Amino acid sequence: MTETTPKKNEYGAESIKVLKGLEAVRKRPGMYIGDTDDGSGLHHMVYEVVDNGIDEALAGHADYVNVKIHADSSVSVRDNGRGIPVDMHPEEGVSAAEVIMTQLHAGGKFNNTDDDGNAYKVSGGLHGVGVSVVNALSDWLELRVWRNDKEYYARFEKGECVEHVREVGDAPGEKGTEVRFMASSKTHDPEGTFSNLEYSFKTLETRLRELAFLNSGVRIIIEDERPAEAVKTELFYEGGVKEFVKYLDRSKTPVMPEPIYMLGEVRGIGVEIAMWWNDSYHENVLPFTNNIPQRDGGTHLAGLRGALTRTINNYAQSSGIAKKEKVDFTGDDAREGLTCVLSVKVPDPKFSSQTKDKLVSSEVRPAVENLVNEKLGEWFEEHPAEAKSIVGKIIEAALAREAARKARELTRRKTAMDVASLPGKLADCQEKDPALSELFLVEGDSAGGSAKQGRERKNQAVLPLRGKILNVERARFDRMLSSDQIGTLITALGTGIGRDEFNIGKLRYHKIVIMTDADVDGAHIRTLLLTFFFRQMPELIEHGYLYIAQPPLYKVARGKSEVYLKDQAALEDFLIQQGVEGAMLRLGDGQEIAGQDLARLVEEARVIRRILQAFPTHYPQRIIEQAAIAGALLAGRLDADAQGVADEVARRLDLVALEYERGWQGRPTQDHGLRFTRILRGVEEARTLDGPVLRSGEARRLSQHTESLQEAYAKPAKLVRKDRETLIHGPIELLNAVLQEGEKGLSLQRYKGLGEMNPEQLWETTLDPSARTLLQVRIEDVAEADDIFTKLMGDVVEPRREFIQQNALSVENLDF
Amino acid sequence: MSCPICAKGSDPKYRPFCSKRCADVDLGRWLRGAYVIPGTLAEEEERASEGAPADPDKPLH
Repeated sequence: MTETTPKKNEYGAESIKVLKGLEAVRKRPGMYIGDTDDGSGLHHMVYEVVDNGIDEALAGHADYVNVKIHADSSVSVRDNGRGIPVDMHPEEGVSAAEVIMTQLHAGGKFNNTDDDGNAYKVSGGLHGVGVSVVNALSDWLELRVWRNDKEYYARFEKGECVEHVREVGDAPGEKGTEVRFMASSKTHDPEGTFSNLEYSFKTLETRLRELAFLNSGVRIIIEDERPAEAVKTELFYEGGVKEFVKYLDRSKTPVMPEPIYMLGEVRGIGVEIAMWWNDSYHENVLPFTNNIPQRDGGTHLAGLRGALTRTINNYAQSSGIAKKEKVDFTGDDAREGLTCVLSVKVPDPKFSSQTKDKLVSSEVRPAVENLVNEKLGEWFEEHPAEAKSIVGKIIEAALAREAARKARELTRRKTAMDVASLPGKLADCQEKDPALSELFLVEGDSAGGSAKQGRERKNQAVLPLRGKILNVERARFDRMLSSDQIGTLITALGTGIGRDEFNIGKLRYHKIVIMTDADVDGAHIRTLLLTFFFRQMPELIEHGYLYIAQPPLYKVARGKSEVYLKDQAALEDFLIQQGVEGAMLRLGDGQEIAGQDLARLVEEARVIRRILQAFPTHYPQRIIEQAAIAGALLAGRLDADAQGVADEVARRLDLVALEYERGWQGRPTQDHGLRFTRILRGVEEARTLDGPVLRSGEARRLSQHTESLQEAYAKPAKLVRKDRETLIHGPIELLNAVLQEGEKGLSLQRYKGLGEMNPEQLWETTLDPSARTLLQVRIEDVAEADDIFTKLMGDVVEPRREFIQQNALSVENLDF
Repeated sequence: MSCPICAKGSDPKYRPFCSKRCADVDLGRWLRGAYVIPGTLAEEEERASEGAPADPDKPLH
């Protein structure tokens, strides 16, 4: 019946030879089953038997394999396959079952003559040694077969058949095979094989789960009867290796919804692959050949890696991502965060060693490579969104690797020497004590030049930064810090860079002062610098070493005296102070206000202007202002005498209007608002303060000033200064008149940039410690800058442009 | 504060990032000059350089 079955005439001699064969197994068990001391060989005993059941299942004859660890430490494995043939061969006088159990290398071949004879052509078998080895290394082994509606039984002891196969009863409808063995133990017999019989449920479960994944649709049940409470696990996965990677990554965060699954056969080699990327940085690729894992990879893994790198490279090139990021990635980058199960079924696999840790069959590499090239390429084309996130992740891996390398390089530069070798960039100071040294980061070459000339050479260093680059493609100027500049900055600071390398103790300056223009460009450069420090050198900010210079925005000169003013608000303060000097406001009732009292009134006018600016712009400020003076905003006033109030406001509007533009009429509206109309050049002009705006929060705030407004502006007042008189009907007119007076006799210069200041001016205003103001940067402030930065860098183009326009001011005015 | 790169929670050791990895990704971008704040177009450039418009009363500090 099989080629290995002994001929009848030679039965005796053959049987002796067989016994000798099994004797050899017992003498050198490690060669056949693995280590007999560390447990691996013991567990392989189970796997050998399980493999037979799985082969039956794969051939379609069985749908489950049941593994049970009995309380006595024997193990049984049962399947519901066809059952080992037990028929006594008429010519040979021994059953196939006995041959399989007692003859080396006979396992798995007993059904070669069946109609589906090639079903086992890629059958695994952990060592392919067959169940006879298990028999040889067992104190006893019991075989039960259900076949032909009968149950059969045979028993072996130390490899020898002590009870030949016999029918023991009827078993209608039942089929399958059960092997139960008691592994040979040194604890029972000093001549025994294994150090102990301590099966690990977990180890068995792990491997059996692997088998369940690798053999989709086979149900494996594992039971342990040793504990007081028996344990039972059922392993059944229909999705194959795809389910396997999902299981492996069950506690990770995937970067794509479903694994990539590839299945194919190339020249008789079956290839099944599932790949899934998660957000971790670890690669987990498990290669299997005929269900056996290869710890050291081999030709199948090489094929996968080659194709993966190639496919991803192609995609990155063709999609333009590679060009955009200008980064080269390696195979390691491509496999970061990859979980992959690669299973090949090869008819006659070759391994580098007995333990099958590495596959060397050369025909497997092109088979895997071709399949992956084709299928993965297709998948990338069909799943652009996922492909983009995978390639994005890979590029990130490449970036991080490159950054860590550059960080090491930058840090290893010998600082002092390299600082000296930065000609034209850093103008260093003489002082060597960091606590006394300052570094000014100055925007622009011309300002940098002025700062270099104007500084105190002893302890002030200057590093000019250029932050503007022409974006030719888009015809605009972008702001950035070039890699050269960042490198120079890091070298100048002396601290090194990167999480492992940065050392605050090596900082060469304890004051680092960002000095940029007070415009949008300056704000953007400052945002870039703040964000860089915040992200890459947070310690520097936490130690309080980072400052922002306050160069003036205005220079005001009168005669020989000069004053620098840092911003618009400071300028206004100054002009008001000048304008109030020598001025007097004569109220409508004859009362005269001057000096401090006038200054307070102007201050209130500024407050009122701010409230007026808070109203929606379609309500004319002038009308709201006059309504406020008329008391129209006071709660209840409108309800009491709506028409009276409307008339009063209209009267005031006429006062303010030019002579030929008068004729305002006021009347209440249905929603408790006020409507004003006049005829202008024959056309009616209408203005409405509707109910909601009259009751708004702004209106309420403004109404709190009613009393002082009425006191000052109930009747027209006059601002008198020198020989000039200006008619005043409200706070806005007062404020404007005072500002105008303040400007008289002054020459006002607005600095568009630091570069407009000469070295002396820069020293006087910004560098000189006795005159300058420095704002110390706190970490909370910078977190906000980072936020702005992130929005400025955002991916969505339109909202970002809008954001820039709206926030140009607020970026500039980051409060520190 | 969340990690500027991946938006996960930040780790005090790698603040403001969540990990060395994200910190390195960011550093890589700085070192390659990849962080660019898009500028305004030519005509807007001129408007912007005319300086900060109204609201001088707004408190700046």
